[in-house]
Amino acid sequence: MIKFKDLDPLLHSQLRLAVISLLMNSEAAEFTWIREQTGATAGNLSIQITKLKEAGYIEVEKKFRNNYPQTLCRITSMGREKFTEYVNALKEYLNPDKSRI
Amino acid sequence: METMEKDMTGEESLRIITDMINKTKFNIRQGSFHLLFWGWLIVFCSLSEYLLFKFSDYATPWYIWFFVIPGVFVSLLYGFIKGKKATVHTYAEMIYTWTWMAFLIASIVLFILLSDRMGSFGPYILTVAAIPTFISGFIIRFRPLIAGGISFWLFALAAHFGGQEIAMLSVPVAMLTGYLIPGYLLKRKTDNDKV
Repeated sequence: MIKFKDLDPLLHSQLRLAVISLLMNSEAAEFTWIREQTGATAGNLSIQITKLKEAGYIEVEKKFRNNYPQTLCRITSMGREKFTEYVNALKEYLNPDKSRI
Repeated sequence: METMEKDMTGEESLRIITDMINKTKFNIRQGSFHLLFWGWLIVFCSLSEYLLFKFSDYATPWYIWFFVIPGVFVSLLYGFIKGKKATVHTYAEMIYTWTWMAFLIASIVLFILLSDRMGSFGPYILTVAAIPTFISGFIIRFRPLIAGGISFWLFALAAHFGGQEIAMLSVPVAMLTGYLIPGYLLKRKTDNDKV
């Protein structure tokens, strides 16, 4: 049986899990939009996004739009894979009798 | 949102995933502009063509369809401005947008291929227009749009087998069932309705 300690520690955190979940359905999302959806502070979100980026789970692109800086986040194929593994592990934890899908 | 590293229960993890995925769902109301704009533009062009054909000696009533060209620019400009303002681009929105772009390209190709026999354009354009309408209905899970796509195929058959007058009237009636009714139903939904 899977224990919580077996779950990916990088994703098993409220804000990082929220960020990855938001990016799973999005081609690209702005930092401001992620902040609005999660309700996190800019500083905290920035720290968590950096952790995800350093682990290779997401890509961060900085550019300018109408002279304002814009930070775009995208999930990588590795991030997608890790999220799927996390969800499968979670399902296994919650329903140990059911097989993985 | 809690930002501290702390133990979460499985239920908490699932709730976060579900909540966040729900926030990336497609805002269905935004599609109504294009449906209503094109619905009314095509009704205007097709009815004008029919009236010119029926009650005037004008040799090339199909010229009225050139109104579609500025319509394309209006639609593209609207989509471009909306896209520039968007702070997130979901996969559902991308599929939706590119399905309609593919239809636009297919329509231009059809226009070129059939330019020497514009009288028979109706059934072909309805057949092609049904595809993005039908697919969009599934993407946004909106049955009136799915039914609208199916109605385009039925009107395409009616237009082909019903003779010239029915062919000309099939297009405006199809616009009613395929774009205008679904468009107004979509508009009635609140901004918060997402799929």
